[in-house]
Amino acid sequence: MLRSAASLLLLALPLLAASGCAAVKPWERDVLARPDMAWEPDSLEAKRNTHIHYSKEASLPGGGAGGGGCGCN
Amino acid sequence: MKNVARRHRRKARLRAARRRAQRRRRESLAALTAGALALPGLAGPAGAEGLSDRIGADYNFSRYSEGSIPASKVAPGSERGRYDIDMHQIRLATPIADRFDLGLDIVHESMSGATPWYVIPGDDGKPVQVMTGATIDDKRTDALLEGKFYMDRALASASGGVSFEKDYFAVNGGLGGQLELNEKNTTLSSGVGFSIDSIDPEDSDEYPLRPNHEKKQTYSVFAGLSQVLRRNIAAQSTLTYQLGHGYLSDPYKQALVAGEPLADSRPGLRHQIAWLSRYRHHFSSVNGSFHANYQFYWDDWKITAHTFELAWYQSLFESFRLIPSVRYYSQGQAGFYAPYYTQARADGLYSSDYRLSPYGAISWRIKAETRFRTWQVDWLATFSWERYLSSGSYAMQKVSTPNPGLVNFDLFSVGLTTRF
Repeated sequence: MLRSAASLLLLALPLLAASGCAAVKPWERDVLARPDMAWEPDSLEAKRNTHIHYSKEASLPGGGAGGGGCGCN
Repeated sequence: MKNVARRHRRKARLRAARRRAQRRRRESLAALTAGALALPGLAGPAGAEGLSDRIGADYNFSRYSEGSIPASKVAPGSERGRYDIDMHQIRLATPIADRFDLGLDIVHESMSGATPWYVIPGDDGKPVQVMTGATIDDKRTDALLEGKFYMDRALASASGGVSFEKDYFAVNGGLGGQLELNEKNTTLSSGVGFSIDSIDPEDSDEYPLRPNHEKKQTYSVFAGLSQVLRRNIAAQSTLTYQLGHGYLSDPYKQALVAGEPLADSRPGLRHQIAWLSRYRHHFSSVNGSFHANYQFYWDDWKITAHTFELAWYQSLFESFRLIPSVRYYSQGQAGFYAPYYTQARADGLYSSDYRLSPYGAISWRIKAETRFRTWQVDWLATFSWERYLSSGSYAMQKVSTPNPGLVNFDLFSVGLTTRF
């Protein structure tokens, strides 16, 4: 029960935070435009990690690059 | 004449200003929305660094190496060594027109080694792993072509690709879209994708439990919301649904049922849901950025999973960056999974695959990257090492009988990226 509540809180956190945020003007985006602030700063690395985790775990990768299926062992 | 020259100079200035504005738009959109797309076939986040106004070429080599199974967890006489994979990745991206980018991703893998086959009870009653008898050698090539069209407040993308091995062929495609709202502080993302796969297992004459030819289809849809919270903070939440249909079993695995090996047999339908939330926070005082990801996963095979990822991007000396990260993963077991079966199941479903077993995994990675300029070209060189350990005792829930085939691996990568 405690774990479920913690999960829901983590899932809802970005939405809760978004509801109380202040608008950032376009000319104030210098920090957000930094490569190390991207959701996936290294697209090849993201694609590789997605592929490996998809091959070795039951979970569906929710982040990473696209690609085809595989007969992964 | 002077008027003509003035008009030319003015037009050139306007063109340059327009190019700068387009570049800013692309960089902003790419930086804020990249990565929302996640599934096989879905149009992906190309050019995450937002440099798609120049031609980009990326190369990465990785060596994936699985640790040997401990002698206590493997059947007597069975192979202990596991899989090694060498992976080459190439990405080429180029602007085609003012608002249109094209990207090509190619992956080539060479795999060799033994893999888990089925599980039997050991002398003490604990399950032990039987590995495939012969070393498997295979190669996989994956190619994905992706086009992106940029509008003032939106991005549309389409992708198509193929993936082939000796015994496997897949075709995939996807469409994606992103829309910026609220002075570009909010981005909505959505997309659909598909993958059509066919499997022709090798040596099916020698191993009668293996099918000769099977097919499966995968369809995906997702919706996401990205929100700028402050000048240095952004968050994103994405909900993904995937439907798998057809042959979802592993043709190279078996399950021991009442003392007899049977083919791995899973339901022909699978509904999967993943909810990924991501958080980015830059700290100017130390010139570092904090990344946090959490994913909740559920499917109708009764597996739930949690993934936590934390990373720190520390910039040093203007051109150097050090990136330590940790990842924790925990999953429950599929409803029909067992290490081995003492009696037959009424529904005929069997799998002893460690990937459907309950376990947890901890991994950590260190990555270094450095930027430099030579031959009037910008370069980025990267090196990373990751260690991944899995165990029944790492799971969030109590695991009474962990699968003996759980995997540990090391992953070394070197990469070179350029823009010109």
